[in-house]
Amino acid sequence: MIRIQDFSTFNAVREAGLAKLLPPKPRIGVGMGTCGAGNGAEGIYHAFNEIITNQGRDMKLASVGCFGFCAEEPLVNVRIPGRPLVILRRVQVADVQRIIDDVAQGQPTEGLALCKVESWDHLTASVQYGEGFPNIPNWFDVPFFKPQKKIVLRNCGLISPDDIEEYIAIGGYSALYKVLIDSNPEAVIEQIKAAKLRGRGGAGFLTGLKWEFLRKAVSDKKYIICNADEGDPGAYMNRNEIESDPHALLEGMIIGGYVMGASEGIIYVRAEYPLAVHRLTRAIEQARESGLLGDNILGRGFNFNIQMVEGAGAFVCGEETALIASLEGQAGRPRPRPPFPAAKGLYQHPTNINNVETWYNVAPIVAKGPAWFTETGSTKSAGTKVFSLVGKVTNTGLVEMPLGTPLKTFIYDVGEGGTNGKHIKSVQTGGPSGGCIPQDMFDTPVDYETLQQIGSIMGSGGMVVLDEDNCMVDVARYFIEFTHSESCGKCIPFRVGLDQCLRILNAFTRGRAKESDLDKLDEIGRMIRETSLCGLGQSAPNPLLTTMRHFRHEFEDHIRVNRCRAGVCEELALSPCENSCPLHMNIPRFLDLYKAGRMDDAFEAVIMDNPLPSSTGRVCQHPCEDRCRRAMIDEPLNMREVHRVIADAVYKSDRFETMVERIKTHKLPATERKVAVVGAGPTGLTAAFYLALLGHEVTVFDSNPEPGGMLRYALPEYRLPRDVVRKEIELIRRMGVEFVCNTEIGSETTLNDLDAAYNAVFMAIGTWKESWVYLPGTELSGVYPALLFLEAIAKDEPVRPGKKVIVIGGGNAAIDSARTSLRMGADVTVVYRRERKDMPAIKEETDAAEAEGAKFLFLATPHRIVGGEDGKVKGIEVVNTRLGEFDASGRRRPISTDEIRRLDCDTVILAVGEAVDLDFVRASGFTIKENGTLQVDRYTLETSRSKFYAGGDLVTGASNVSNAMFFGKRAARRIDDRLMGTNNRLIRLLPQVEYSQEAPETPTECHRHSVEELPAQERVETFAESLIGLTPEQTLEEACRCLRCDVKEHH
Amino acid sequence: MPGQISIRIDGEYVTAQVGQTILEVARANGKYIPTLCWLESITPVGACRLCIVEVSGVNRLLPACTTPVQDGMSVTTQSEKLQAYRKIALELLFSERNHICAVCVSNNHCELQGMAQKLGVNSIRYAYSFPKLSVDVSHERYVLDHNRCILCTRCVRVCAQVEGAHVWDVSSRGIHSLVVSDMAKPWGEAVNCTNCGKCVNSCPTGALAEKGFAVEEMVKRDGKVTRLAARRGGQQ
Amino acid sequence: MIKKVRLATVWFDGCAGCHMSLVDIDEAIISVAGRVDVVYGPLVDAQEFPKAVDVTLIEGAISSQEDLEKVQEIRKRTKLIVALGDCAVTGNVPSMRNQIQPRKLLERIYIEGAQTNKGIPTDGVPALLRQAVPVHQVVKVDLHVPGCPPAASAIAYVLGELVEGRIPNLTAKVKFG
Repeated sequence: MIRIQDFSTFNAVREAGLAKLLPPKPRIGVGMGTCGAGNGAEGIYHAFNEIITNQGRDMKLASVGCFGFCAEEPLVNVRIPGRPLVILRRVQVADVQRIIDDVAQGQPTEGLALCKVESWDHLTASVQYGEGFPNIPNWFDVPFFKPQKKIVLRNCGLISPDDIEEYIAIGGYSALYKVLIDSNPEAVIEQIKAAKLRGRGGAGFLTGLKWEFLRKAVSDKKYIICNADEGDPGAYMNRNEIESDPHALLEGMIIGGYVMGASEGIIYVRAEYPLAVHRLTRAIEQARESGLLGDNILGRGFNFNIQMVEGAGAFVCGEETALIASLEGQAGRPRPRPPFPAAKGLYQHPTNINNVETWYNVAPIVAKGPAWFTETGSTKSAGTKVFSLVGKVTNTGLVEMPLGTPLKTFIYDVGEGGTNGKHIKSVQTGGPSGGCIPQDMFDTPVDYETLQQIGSIMGSGGMVVLDEDNCMVDVARYFIEFTHSESCGKCIPFRVGLDQCLRILNAFTRGRAKESDLDKLDEIGRMIRETSLCGLGQSAPNPLLTTMRHFRHEFEDHIRVNRCRAGVCEELALSPCENSCPLHMNIPRFLDLYKAGRMDDAFEAVIMDNPLPSSTGRVCQHPCEDRCRRAMIDEPLNMREVHRVIADAVYKSDRFETMVERIKTHKLPATERKVAVVGAGPTGLTAAFYLALLGHEVTVFDSNPEPGGMLRYALPEYRLPRDVVRKEIELIRRMGVEFVCNTEIGSETTLNDLDAAYNAVFMAIGTWKESWVYLPGTELSGVYPALLFLEAIAKDEPVRPGKKVIVIGGGNAAIDSARTSLRMGADVTVVYRRERKDMPAIKEETDAAEAEGAKFLFLATPHRIVGGEDGKVKGIEVVNTRLGEFDASGRRRPISTDEIRRLDCDTVILAVGEAVDLDFVRASGFTIKENGTLQVDRYTLETSRSKFYAGGDLVTGASNVSNAMFFGKRAARRIDDRLMGTNNRLIRLLPQVEYSQEAPETPTECHRHSVEELPAQERVETFAESLIGLTPEQTLEEACRCLRCDVKEHH
Repeated sequence: MPGQISIRIDGEYVTAQVGQTILEVARANGKYIPTLCWLESITPVGACRLCIVEVSGVNRLLPACTTPVQDGMSVTTQSEKLQAYRKIALELLFSERNHICAVCVSNNHCELQGMAQKLGVNSIRYAYSFPKLSVDVSHERYVLDHNRCILCTRCVRVCAQVEGAHVWDVSSRGIHSLVVSDMAKPWGEAVNCTNCGKCVNSCPTGALAEKGFAVEEMVKRDGKVTRLAARRGGQQ
Repeated sequence: MIKKVRLATVWFDGCAGCHMSLVDIDEAIISVAGRVDVVYGPLVDAQEFPKAVDVTLIEGAISSQEDLEKVQEIRKRTKLIVALGDCAVTGNVPSMRNQIQPRKLLERIYIEGAQTNKGIPTDGVPALLRQAVPVHQVVKVDLHVPGCPPAASAIAYVLGELVEGRIPNLTAKVKFG
């Protein structure tokens, strides 16, 4: 190795490096960070080596660092002279021969190319690789990389970390050279100050200021320390930086040592990073041999040494005073500051500590100047920060983003949103002591001050994305458990306070918490934050305090209804399916009873959990399937179909009478309390069923001629035959419920009448009012709101769509309108302003509509409806939309362009959303929320008017059948509690049926049986039900597929 | 006078020396700030956090025992928030271990107990942990009862700084922290122990006690230790 | 005539010292007695805990299943609950068993420690809770009067204030811990 003494030797090394980096033959670089190695990069490297050697290929093989895209590991880059560097993804050993052959042909391998790099700015120098390969996207056009800016990671994944020559080739150590030649340390400090570089370890203190403190400190010995004790779970930026580019760290530290007047540098690195330790050891050796460390560095008379110390893994040693204690050989416990390390640090000498990443920013600032640096980032937080984007997001990896970038860019642009279409609800930033930021605050810019303001921290850059499957109470518990076990124990708040918090949170996850525990957590959390000794203690309650603030309803659910919506807290759920079912049907039970051939027991078990099993079996959104663990083996179980089969078997046989009598035996003695239910839709029917069984006298009012609400008047016959609905209502009627139809509350009967005549009133009216879009032409003949259109058809009114129908919207009402129109012989086009994957309609329904001949026009929104002189619709003009930023729903917001196109049609059906008609309750003592729904207590469903309860669409806005029924069930329980002064008599109604508690030894082989529909051409001709349900044999096989997640202990 | 500065404590102007802590200045001027881990003339560690005070212009609470005074500083020693936090800290200490005062040798002579009265604690809102802890009776003259220990580390510091024996240290971390003698040997086998009893006399509770005392009989004399410390040159 | 305060006293896991201190309030008992009806407690004959009690003084920690059920019922039937003495306030001496599993504890005493009739009694003996805990850990407590036992003067003061319908201020009158 050449010892660099002057420019000529420096340049000689540089030339040698360039020859390695850009050889006149193909070069293959295998990404060999810990991440790559974990995905098999070593095997790939050996495979390349073997083939190149055995086949005598004229290619250079290198091991490089990591390019940061973890989700696409292992990454391999190939470069053919004169051509761009091409990055290949998910390379397997089996691909190696093909890659070599392709490279020999001058081609990157088809299907493996992730992106290409034509030229690269290493900031200290730039490299031109070459041009070509038009079919491969440039690296900066890949969504994952597009918003990134690589300053810290400028060399990662491109050069060999084991070769100082390659580092020097891309301009490495030239900043150091410049500093030593200029020999003006103050000027360098001024540059760092002017660049507004802030400590990347988390606290964000101005680095230049800190350097100035040390420079001004008077002492015969000064130390500088690099804090590489990266211990946050899920954070690995420092590891990757060191593994991929160790010399950039050394260069930053040597510059720092020179300008601060220190002669010794220490890198405190976790022992759990063996590869980083290994590469750093090697880099230090090489730097020493090359004359970049030790005495007379670069022949400029400066002496500086760096030694590495491996930390034993205590998290708290990342805190600077604890780190110093650890270096001194003492227990790693923080000490009070002042004195600050700049005054009294290691062995009482003035000391400067900076995080790994801070040091990486030094050389670029020196090379390119502070003005260049402040171009990136926000006013107070200049430059970039590396984050580890992990958790429930599609693209995971290390991302370097300008400070001040909004969270949504991280999550939706770089991360490309949730996995499997799940709804993202929060992101936790800053490691275990950071806070959880809810989705509605994703506009928040990521910088030190803003994160602090909203109760989180920048920390070392952890970013954990959480979705609907995460329980926020459990998330808080997890992080508190982590910091609890890593607390040093010195100060009372952190030691005992956090222990109390953890005890309480454990009680929450077991459903044993009390209401007063919320206040206790809040109080102790604040106390820990404000009174702990060190930064770790002061930030440790962040995950708790932020989840309590933004997700309080989840904490309350755990206390008040013993419910964990995400299904994470196992003791609160029977099984994932039961937990996700709004009605909490005991699904494993009816599956088992069906399996055992106990059909009457099965029906009883089903109906007592869900009084409309046949209807919901056809039209439920089946959240149970999204949670079914069978999906991990093959496909989720078809649970709703099994209860449909169970119910229809009774409804269509002479067992109906017997079963009615059997259900009636559950009825509790008459209470002489009278309850009115307003609205005979699924919410009202459910409430009425349970209230009647609880012994109350129940009257249900409805404005339509028949009960059933949306089930009867909005869902088309081919999806849900009216006979099915009638049969289910018949059973409810037989429990003693009286139906008063053709009675509109508000006109014939007033709320005051009900108030006078009943002990309680439950209001369960549906969303029948179309939220009208005001666009020119809605007054024309041939324009229908979807629900009124569907209702008219269901009432056999003489409504006919024309020949060419345009349906506007993407929800279930739009698809129902489309399929109904098709059945009436129309040509149908559905216009939706977003993309197909964003449609809220049940996917199977959309597919069925398409099979029946419906056409779809996506990314278009109506502009105006065009009419003829006769006042009839002639056509519609639509505006093309493009997708803009992500909105609160986690979908991209459609933005109108100026491209207008005209579609001819004679009918327009608008299905753009529904609202409740609340006119009749205004000024009747009810509180109406801003979004037009009724204000009720989340748990008791009490409205602001005494005796009156409300649920379903009235309080949620348009929803679906099972959610609506959930409110009916809850209302029955809460009304009964109040009327009887008891707690949960409803539970007494539930049948106690014995059933098997054995989980199957091995899952059955059988795949899912999905229901089929009649062939499209056949079903589109008729309104008859299109469903072909499962046969009894198929149903049995389906029931046998259950894994019995509800059986917690194996006997 | 050189090195003399002015600060305000609870609105009152007082004179202080550069290098003094807020607590030292407050005590010198008759202002009471509660403490448990602090012991005069021994290096403060800022562990119990009872001495937290508000300093205007600083948005954090600062421990009076380790924060040096600065000219023009305005300190508040009593406020609703400080009272509340001090009370929580004390309640947390009571909940952490088994302080069965009624049967403790230090009952009625205990600083923890005394502090409860000063801060108006008369029940503990938090669930007691009831940990299983040992009592070390191996020493011929003294007893170490972990059930009563509040981890103030006065014993550790006094032994190191005044006696120079370095017998005591804290092992483990977090809620599992434990005071140990001679690298976790039974106290009776600790070869470095000089039997001087300074640790016992500086212990604020009944955690370290002399043998042969019954309930309520153990009275500590920490003044002896601090005077000795001062004569030996104070903090080291 | 002024309505008398319906006072109950209960004795859970404790040594009866607090009740001793209660009857030790000397002449104060005369003025108190005129103002209260003692409707339940070890000092009177009532078998069942009555309804609509104004004040219940609780001595002792909650230690058994029976204690637990009883104190929950007492809470429903009492307006104001006073935890009287250290066992009720902190768990005190009864809680010293909390580090040992009840089963092991009973074995140590009734089997290993017994000379004759070895065997853990089960008939007519309520099951021990896993831990003996202070009253407020189980039900809401309105007033804590610590002390082992609380001084008779403190008890006299507390009763005097309560019969006047005032909530006593115990600052400097009792000693916690």
